[in-house]
Amino acid sequence: MKQAFTPREKRRYVGAYRPKIDGPAKAAGRAEYLDDLALAIRFPGLLQAKVLRSPYAHCRIRRIDTKKAEALPGVRAVITFEDPEAAAFKPTTCAWTGVDTVPYDRMYWPTYRDKRVFGPYCTWAGDEAGVVVAAETEAIAEEALKLLEVDWEVLDHVLDPQEALAPEAPRINPEMNFGSNVIPPEDLCGPERWFDRGDVDQALAEAEVKVEVTSHYPNTDHGCLDSMGCLIHWTEDKLTCWSNSYQGDQLRVHLATMLDLPLHRVRVIIPYLGGSMGRWNVGDQLFFLFTALLSRRTGRPVRFKHTRREDFHDTRSAIQWRARLGADREGTIGAAHFIGLADAGGYTEHTVAALKFMTGFEISECMLAPIKNLRFEGKTVYTNKIPGGCMRGIGNNQFNLCLMLAVDELAEKLGMDPIDLVLKNFGHEWGQRPDPSLKALLEEGAKRIGWQDRHPAGAGPVHEGTRRRGLGFSFHMSWHTAWQEIPRGRVQLRVRLNPDGTVILDAPMVETGVGSNSCAVFACAEAFDFLDLRPEDIAWVEQVDTETGLKDMVQTDSAVSYLHAELMGEAAAQIKAQILERAEPVLEAPSADLEVKEGRVLVRAEPERSISVRDLLWRGDMTPLIGTVNRLPPQEVTGVPFAATFVEVEVDSSTGRVEVTRIVQLNDCGTVMFASGVEAQQTGGQCIGLGEAIYEEIVYDQRTGVPLNFNWIDYKIPTMADFPEIEPVPLEVWRGAGDYGPCGIGEVVTTNTPRAVANAVYNAVGVRVDDPPLTPQKVLKALREKGGAQ
Amino acid sequence: MPAPSAEERSLSLRVNGRTHVLSGVDGTETLAQVLKNRLGLTGLKVACDQGACGACTVIMDGLAVLSCLTLAVEAQGAEILTIEGLSPDDPVVRAFAGQCEPGYGTAMQCGYCTPGFVMTAKAFLLANPKPTMEEIKENLSGNLCRCGCYPAIAQAVLRASGQKAGEE
Repeated sequence: MKQAFTPREKRRYVGAYRPKIDGPAKAAGRAEYLDDLALAIRFPGLLQAKVLRSPYAHCRIRRIDTKKAEALPGVRAVITFEDPEAAAFKPTTCAWTGVDTVPYDRMYWPTYRDKRVFGPYCTWAGDEAGVVVAAETEAIAEEALKLLEVDWEVLDHVLDPQEALAPEAPRINPEMNFGSNVIPPEDLCGPERWFDRGDVDQALAEAEVKVEVTSHYPNTDHGCLDSMGCLIHWTEDKLTCWSNSYQGDQLRVHLATMLDLPLHRVRVIIPYLGGSMGRWNVGDQLFFLFTALLSRRTGRPVRFKHTRREDFHDTRSAIQWRARLGADREGTIGAAHFIGLADAGGYTEHTVAALKFMTGFEISECMLAPIKNLRFEGKTVYTNKIPGGCMRGIGNNQFNLCLMLAVDELAEKLGMDPIDLVLKNFGHEWGQRPDPSLKALLEEGAKRIGWQDRHPAGAGPVHEGTRRRGLGFSFHMSWHTAWQEIPRGRVQLRVRLNPDGTVILDAPMVETGVGSNSCAVFACAEAFDFLDLRPEDIAWVEQVDTETGLKDMVQTDSAVSYLHAELMGEAAAQIKAQILERAEPVLEAPSADLEVKEGRVLVRAEPERSISVRDLLWRGDMTPLIGTVNRLPPQEVTGVPFAATFVEVEVDSSTGRVEVTRIVQLNDCGTVMFASGVEAQQTGGQCIGLGEAIYEEIVYDQRTGVPLNFNWIDYKIPTMADFPEIEPVPLEVWRGAGDYGPCGIGEVVTTNTPRAVANAVYNAVGVRVDDPPLTPQKVLKALREKGGAQ
Repeated sequence: MPAPSAEERSLSLRVNGRTHVLSGVDGTETLAQVLKNRLGLTGLKVACDQGACGACTVIMDGLAVLSCLTLAVEAQGAEILTIEGLSPDDPVVRAFAGQCEPGYGTAMQCGYCTPGFVMTAKAFLLANPKPTMEEIKENLSGNLCRCGCYPAIAQAVLRASGQKAGEE
């Protein structure tokens, strides 16, 4: 048996190993997703929408003739960028929101509105090209696109961010008047040198031991099985949108704002969602708007759904980081200088945040607080590639790849164990040193992976012929809950206690798979312990519906897994008060003399005078009791705990193949809300972590700029056979604000793995490959250069 | 609507023990399209539509097939089993639903790949009722789970086969 986690405080449901509440429905194929609703048998007259996509990396439509497409039988509408209603849309950024819900004028990046809903101009091969079609079938819609006569003006393109910096480089999004391909600074993230503490130059000059390293993180894809889409029916009365977005209310606000409709004329319904991985942090996906126009034009329900190829639509921003560290001989890091070059791709989206926000506002405070001289600077630049949006662990993964390379190199130069170097130098500005959370994680991880037996770099023990083993680790701060949750606003929650003692729980959030619904249900059962409520007595309202439900919590990040839970006690207290009030005339005692225990109301002084809550409610008018919460979640800034990943690899020096043989994933969760769910995240996060370490990368034809692997045959996602032995280790050391004080862990479980693997490869065979994925070609090349290939 | 093509024909399909006679089925329609769009059997998921992920797996004459790569006309005369045809207490379904022991996590998160995994596992266990862990990994590696629940899925399959789970 694997080792079970022991909670700091034993509770009945919260923190337990339990099945998911939606496990039975999902395992039996009963859970409904967008594709299961958006069927012609459910929506008579359903039309299918398709959008023209750019075949070139950089181009503009000079002229378009739609006559042949419109004449194709089965085509019901063709709308182009020249249509007045299409041309009237406000420009957007594809990056509407963060955790908050905002209208257009408060949308992120007001100075970067570089994307048109319908436009003739395309910045990457695959970009939406401003012509949409609705037809009776998808095949007819696709055929219609082929019948469009498009006169393309093919523009010069640039793929490499360094080349894009050159003054003579082809200018991308020229109408933004940025003066170059560099995306200029704006207010939220600050200037090109966005963080500068102390005197880095002097501290580096005086440092006794120095290292300088560079790392390159590639473009990777979310790879959600449920591709993005919507079904919109815009009638005289209202616009109704079914979608697999992770945000209902934000989508409602978005549609209303962009289409100039009052909020009560827009209804958004969202069922279960087949994976998010952060991708939906792009509230104004254009397809909502053009699908809406097609529905208005035709008067029929219209469905738009990405094909697998089209669903390669946003990416983890590719970032090159250069780091310079300076330390004294005892291993105190006095100076750290980081210089980034972020590749935004064809539009700004969230790449600026990936580069600057995460490092300047969070990593600087939560990981690098003890470093007296610290500087971050860099640029974000357009290239003619897939735009960098938001992906699980945004910005953190790229930075971790560089930071822990520098730390590993510095430790080697100092002759120190890198674990000791980390404990000596890193932590957040509220905490003591060494940081208790970090110390607990690194000690436990070292014990489990066998760190004490680690061999010197490049001298990994030989395991079968040409295969050498090595160990590596990396650590990172957890998700920055305290900062992220402040702009989120009020959380809404409603608990209805039925007269038979069961509960309808309206804790609205789109269930993307992270298990926030299970956490809410377990916390509800816990809060209603006085009724002996069990999770199976609670029905969680599955669909987000902006007309019948409360405001849903934008499913941006793993904090959603506990924000409802934190407020559950308040709803329970309201309902308890109502029970006592109803019991007063029945038990003939003032409520102050009554208490509710194990599902019964009793007179405290005479416990034999009692009535079961069920009997009490059943005898009345059968009206359910309602507890409603509508307030801000805990706002106290308490810092964050940490996460660490230890790996063991085997490197075959005859082929360059890296096999990850073990992963130990450790997270200080603050409080574990759902042990099986946490361990699913810790284990499952490695599908991205391991994938980005050794398999995953979007590949472009360097000559044409056309992406070559927008499918799951050529873009390799790890399978069961690729998975190593993984040990999930949840810990509770740190504690945050609120009744439970947990921390989101869903992002950081992907963050450390690429660096831990690369450091383990170095430990095994003594070569550095710092531009993952660590493919056999790259590793073998590095071994040959070192003279170590066999 | 376009004129009916020469390939359109009436099609007879045996699905979950019932015979369905469908008219107007185009010769290019896949089994996945017919099961989902015409018969409303929405348990199967079409995630890649090119045979790379296994989410659309159904069982045809006892073997797991990718319904996105199978033409509906090819399935005539075969016994097709979709997830809707499994009994409510099917051991594979129950094992996936209940998986939660320490060290592995749950057997699904978003659940989109789950029906495909369940059907793949079902067909696999029909052929190999007491598989080893190595055989499970080998035979279920044609299905993708981006949430990465592979270790728990493997445990669920082991448990569904009546073998002791929780140990490797």
